[in-house]
Amino acid sequence: MTCERIEELLSAFLEGRLGQAERERVESHLAGCPDCADLLSVLGRARKALAGFPELEVSPGLQARLAAIPERKKKFSFSFDFLLKPSLQPVFAAGAVFMTLLSFYLFNPDKKTIDRAIDQKIHSGYSQVEKLYAKAGSFTDRLGDTAENVVVSVKNWKIFGGNEDEPYKE
Amino acid sequence: MLVNSYSKRVFNLAYQFAGSYQEAEDLTQDIFLKLYGALKRYDFEKNFTAWLLTLAKNHLIDTYRKTRWEKAHRDEFDEQFPAPEAAHGPESGLIEEADRKLVWEGLNRLAPETRMAVILRDIQDKSYEEVAEILDLPLGTVKSRINRGRLQLAKILKERQEGRLQ
Repeated sequence: MTCERIEELLSAFLEGRLGQAERERVESHLAGCPDCADLLSVLGRARKALAGFPELEVSPGLQARLAAIPERKKKFSFSFDFLLKPSLQPVFAAGAVFMTLLSFYLFNPDKKTIDRAIDQKIHSGYSQVEKLYAKAGSFTDRLGDTAENVVVSVKNWKIFGGNEDEPYKE
Repeated sequence: MLVNSYSKRVFNLAYQFAGSYQEAEDLTQDIFLKLYGALKRYDFEKNFTAWLLTLAKNHLIDTYRKTRWEKAHRDEFDEQFPAPEAAHGPESGLIEEADRKLVWEGLNRLAPETRMAVILRDIQDKSYEEVAEILDLPLGTVKSRINRGRLQLAKILKERQEGRLQ
């Protein structure tokens, strides 16, 4: 076994966590390697030193401050926790995108060009809407005519007392 | 009450990790503030002590990473730890006391995760399984991390001892 491998096993050796075969190999290495044997002894001392640190008592001042925390929390119980709700995250994301675009618009050196482009877009959009509206109007008229024709032809059916052979009259 | 049951444990962990009494008091207060905020997220099927110590560990390591406390040394050992009565005569008592001082200072030279693992196992006397649960690491990683930390401390102890003898 190399010294590096022994180092890896020293804690387990000290705590008696090694199997018999491995323990014997470590012991045989330690018997012939004063450096590793010395390291094992110092390691034991380090562990003993760590285990010897006494527990400190909490000062009365700190104890009082800790005991006051729940009351302080209650006093300021109106918190902004609701802002952290996951359901609001899309709203915040949309807000962030909107603010980015707004700042891009407001602080752009070519603001006038953008204004003009927006103006043009609005006007062309408005004229598009007007055209659509006009088209929709003519479509409604045609639909009305068709509906009337359907009503007249249905009235002309024999079962409703009409004469189907009679030519269509408005 | 939470404070009565756990303040000593959290304070000692903070002190052993940070090495400064004042800092440990502030850190303990921060940890309890966080604890009251996080209580509603506590899963009752989990071990409460381990859950609390995980929260404390996360806060201590995060704070260490953010601030590094802008100082390289810990409180003087004698400030807080009174010399215990020597169990095997005054001479061995002095050696043990010197070892404790060196190890106390040496803790600052360990990486924060390694330091935390060594403190939990060797000072707070937690089992390897408990340390693994608190650190949220596999058992094997915890064992090798603790061994590495102990070896570093042993080497510091050896260096200082040899330096003193020369």
